[in-house]
Amino acid sequence: MEIGFIELTLVNVIFLFLVGFVGGLVSGFIGSGGAFVLTPAMMSMGVMAVMAVAANMCHKFPKALVGAIKRHRFGQVDLKLGIVMGISAEAGVLYGAGLQQSIRETFGAAGSNLYVSTVFVVVLAIVGTYVLRDAWRMYRSGDPDREKITRLARWVQSVHIPGTMMYFKSIDARISVLFTLPLGFATGMLAATIAVGGFIGVPAMMYVLGVPGLMASATELVIAFIMGMGGSIKFAWSGLVDIRLAMILLAGSLFGIQLGAIGTTYVKPYMVKIVMGVIMILALASRALMIPVYLSDLGRIDPLRDTTARMLGDISFAMLILALTVGAGIVFAALIRGIRAHHAKLAAIDAPVGTFTPPAPAEAVAFPPAGRLKRILLVTDGSEYSESAVGQAIDMARRCDAGLFAFTVLPTPFYASPFGDPLHKEEKRQAVERLMKVRARAHAAGLECEILLGHGEDPWLEIIEQAEQSAMDLIVMGRRDQDDVLRSLLGSTTGKVIGRTRSDVLVVPRGTHCAGKRLVLPVDGSRHSDAAALTALTLVQRCPMPITIVSVAGDNAGLPEARAIAERIRMRMHEAPLPVEIVVRSGIPDRVIIDCARNRQADLIVMGSHGRTGMDRLLMGSVTEKVIGQSQWPVLVVKPGQHALSGKVSAPLSAGQPRSDAARPQIPRTQGAQ
Amino acid sequence: MPVERRRALTRTLLYGAASAALYLLLYLFRDPVLKASRQGGWYFLVPIGVAFAFSLVHGHFTGHFWELFGIRAKTTKK
Repeated sequence: MEIGFIELTLVNVIFLFLVGFVGGLVSGFIGSGGAFVLTPAMMSMGVMAVMAVAANMCHKFPKALVGAIKRHRFGQVDLKLGIVMGISAEAGVLYGAGLQQSIRETFGAAGSNLYVSTVFVVVLAIVGTYVLRDAWRMYRSGDPDREKITRLARWVQSVHIPGTMMYFKSIDARISVLFTLPLGFATGMLAATIAVGGFIGVPAMMYVLGVPGLMASATELVIAFIMGMGGSIKFAWSGLVDIRLAMILLAGSLFGIQLGAIGTTYVKPYMVKIVMGVIMILALASRALMIPVYLSDLGRIDPLRDTTARMLGDISFAMLILALTVGAGIVFAALIRGIRAHHAKLAAIDAPVGTFTPPAPAEAVAFPPAGRLKRILLVTDGSEYSESAVGQAIDMARRCDAGLFAFTVLPTPFYASPFGDPLHKEEKRQAVERLMKVRARAHAAGLECEILLGHGEDPWLEIIEQAEQSAMDLIVMGRRDQDDVLRSLLGSTTGKVIGRTRSDVLVVPRGTHCAGKRLVLPVDGSRHSDAAALTALTLVQRCPMPITIVSVAGDNAGLPEARAIAERIRMRMHEAPLPVEIVVRSGIPDRVIIDCARNRQADLIVMGSHGRTGMDRLLMGSVTEKVIGQSQWPVLVVKPGQHALSGKVSAPLSAGQPRSDAARPQIPRTQGAQ
Repeated sequence: MPVERRRALTRTLLYGAASAALYLLLYLFRDPVLKASRQGGWYFLVPIGVAFAFSLVHGHFTGHFWELFGIRAKTTKK
């Protein structure tokens, strides 16, 4: 046979490198895969079929060697099992190749292709479905780390055949090699037939021998090394190896296999099964598309038109590439998620302080009574936007004789790159420095201030959790900017905190400060605005300022109801040290509230929040959020605790006038101000 | 730069240079290598030897490469 080596262009080299990388990534993760794309990919470049197989084989064994060594370091490889199965797999390869040869001689190329495709479809349909079903069961089991041993594996492990028993560490049991030999043989035979022996080897190890998924996929790399080495020597002996092609594939695939192997340390075992199952099903669909073409070539069905046959061939190849790409995508996603979660955990361990000092037992209630201001959590990010929040929190803590706790959240680095790690350390140093400055300012104002640095992927979540764990009554935060469409769609940190926390939140826009000129209290007759009224009363008792109660009706017809609501709240605020006035208007609630605050020269708005989040907030809108977005003064958003929500506000609005919603006169609601 | 990171960077650069050198050599001597490969028989040692050499050097390089970027296996204390 004339052996011709093709000319390689730069495009070919880049293409092979990339395909090698993706194939390596998948192989490193599931122990096999990639070959079924690499061989046709090389053939599409004009490489002879036999040489494409040879180059694939010759890149496979060094790749599998590197992957096996890597995963051996992670303790995932059962070397003895790999060698035992690898040797029998080699025999299977030789037998499979011989069988292929005789089928080709008897039925021709189309007959051989039909045989390969049928084996592919039947084997992968059975095994792929089973693997996916098993992965789904593990995922839904509630304990995804635990892999159940099949009844078949339990039986295999229980059989004792003298003289054939061998101990394997992956299953921590002795089994007869009479079971491993046919499995290895089948793996090799399938490798010689459909180029991916691992599709039978890995599931066989898992379900017939009882090897855990991660160890089975790692051990498969040993088998692949032995098979690939044997195959490569055979092809090289015939002078068929184009070492250039093999080494270009290897260049990309070694990058991939390292990454895939690392990925296995971050994922739950069922992920290996998902990747393998998905690739199997997509690959079988690809081969199934070609069956009509081969049947047509054999004359078993009406001949297909050339264009149809070519189209089916193209779609089939595209599906193979899709199978590999989807597999690589899942591996990538799992790797990134795993690394992020791991780094978040490590960063949390590195945090300088675990939590703030817990409240005294008497104060440590899950739902603090409305209006209580004993513990204030100041959230600062060191920017100019949170500067006013610092001053306001210190002032409020001093006036209310409350404890002050300063908190900063550092986002977890995406991954520790050579630049990322030092940068993260520098950010951490700066954050601690900022917190120290806040503490110094608090000390200067005669206050104690605890500081804490938190870590997490989502700052808003850390803030909410810290407020919850440390039983904070009030969270004080800055506001980044005016609201816009994007912000309202995506949600700001402040918006997310308000939507989900159970503590009150004071939002302080840049350059503002509440000096106690006037407090505006929007009301709508709901329990949320009652809670806001209670908090407003507590505040003005500590820091006397006049109050303007604003009640907004949708139209003029609703004005009497709106007035009744406002009057009811005013009656209950008779303990306020300074005058309480009422403003009743019709119009758009947020605009009326902002106009009223501006006209009355108020410097604080206190309002309740329904706590809507997600789609609910997007569809219904939030007056509170709109007011926060437009306000040029601090806005205190009051979150009713469980007591308030159930209609039992823990402290009465007015001493001697205990009330509950049941006792309250039934007043029809006006258009909600919150 | 911490000593550990400097060492990691040095190792990566060394293996990277060695790997690049191997690929350069393969490019420069592609004709004699392919000629030897084509002969078959005991010349099978040429492509197999090349594959082993590349896997050793390039394998070390790729491993250190990802580690340098902070992508390393998760270690758990048992």
